[in-house]
Amino acid sequence: MFSGLRERLQAARAKLGISIEATMTPQPLQETPSAVQSVVQNPGVFSEKPTFANKIKTLIIDRELIVSEKELSDALSELEITLLESDVALQVTDAIIAHVRTDLVGRHRKIGESVDGLVVGTLKGALLDVLGKGFDLTEYVRNHQRPVKILFTGVNGTGKTTTVAKIGFFLKKQGFTVVIGAGDTHRAGAIEQIEVHAERIGIKIIQHQQGADPSAVLFDTVQYASSHKIDVVLADTAGRFHTKANLMNQLEKIRRVMKPDLIVYVDEAVAGNDAVVRAAEFDKTVGADAVILTKADMDSRGGAAISIAHTIGKPLMFLGTGQAYDDIMPFSPNQMVEDLLGDT
Amino acid sequence: MGNNAEMVDQRELLTLEHYLKQYGQQAEIFAGQLELMENGRMEALAAIEALQGISDADDGTVLLQIGGGASLRVKVLEPDKVLLNIGAEVIVERTNKDAVEFLKDRITEMEASEKKVVETLDRLRSQMNEITKRLEQGYQQAVQAEQQYSPPAHGEED
Repeated sequence: MFSGLRERLQAARAKLGISIEATMTPQPLQETPSAVQSVVQNPGVFSEKPTFANKIKTLIIDRELIVSEKELSDALSELEITLLESDVALQVTDAIIAHVRTDLVGRHRKIGESVDGLVVGTLKGALLDVLGKGFDLTEYVRNHQRPVKILFTGVNGTGKTTTVAKIGFFLKKQGFTVVIGAGDTHRAGAIEQIEVHAERIGIKIIQHQQGADPSAVLFDTVQYASSHKIDVVLADTAGRFHTKANLMNQLEKIRRVMKPDLIVYVDEAVAGNDAVVRAAEFDKTVGADAVILTKADMDSRGGAAISIAHTIGKPLMFLGTGQAYDDIMPFSPNQMVEDLLGDT
Repeated sequence: MGNNAEMVDQRELLTLEHYLKQYGQQAEIFAGQLELMENGRMEALAAIEALQGISDADDGTVLLQIGGGASLRVKVLEPDKVLLNIGAEVIVERTNKDAVEFLKDRITEMEASEKKVVETLDRLRSQMNEITKRLEQGYQQAVQAEQQYSPPAHGEED
């Protein structure tokens, strides 16, 4: 998963390390040093213009160095291109670069201290900043009034129905009772598809005939859940593009009728920036509380996964990673950052 | 030993048919995705060929195909300045050589992704074959059971 992005980030990490290493080589003290400026103590605090005496004190006594922006500019430009080439949205790329710049420029380091550790720490911080905190569905269900109603939306062909089944399987494994509402009454075979899934994972399904009003199906599902004390309602819906006004109105009606606690937008990671743009559009029209990206195992660039939370301001909840019901992983920013920047 | 009619569970056959249909739908989606990737790869290859052709053209004159088999001789003003969409809808200016390198990298990336989609498709097909085999066995058993327990036809008795 995200192997291309991992390779690129590892290369950027090395390049940043080399740039800083160069700045950390003790230079002869000059009035206009380019690579290294001596500093006073208190890491992270910009000092007033260092005096000659301060420089001597810092370099000879404190053995500390400070990195200037000039030396990092090439590495930062390269990092910027790396992120853009991985389909990371422009505003997210800008945020990452700004974080890295702020964190590294003016940073005090003891001579001999690990440069790689500094770079990795900075990059991890920058990525964690944009990735957000994720969304713990188990925790949400535990702390919320039952039944928790989750409405799944998204464009066609991204694996929404399979994702509903996977989430059902996941929640069932966590000990919750689940009912699925077959709200995709539009696509031929969709009801059959979710029915087969439900049967295989042993979850009750509420369905009407093809062509029925999805709001009615999902209303019935919620009624069933309330009367049978079911913990979670998973509401499948037909895929639609945000540009189709009538279908978006239908979704709005579903929202009014079933009053979901969570609206989850589902798209595929391989769509890259398109997924980010579409998620933003869905959020604007019917709202979205969290995002699930499917087919992450086939996505080498990782742009959507990196960008989506920061761009639309909604957390990433799960990543779909295969065909089996348990091929879905709760999104963990720390785990992802570790996978991208770790040494293994 | 139970008879064949008992061994053939009609509900199981129906479920297997559903599974087969479902796998078929998934395979269709992945095949579509593979086609898109392949189109992208071919497009990138064509772009590389065009960029190299432009680079090799001495006076920057190339043939521009405008469809319907018609072409125009055009002079490329700046053959070494290529505007390239590098991702996230960001377009940057690259030299011809760098643009070719970028496209080659992208092709490698697409090939790796295609490989994964093909692997998934293969897995789906193998599961579909498995289900088809079980379905055929089930149908055969059902037919045998029917033949075994059907009343003898007229004229067979002495």
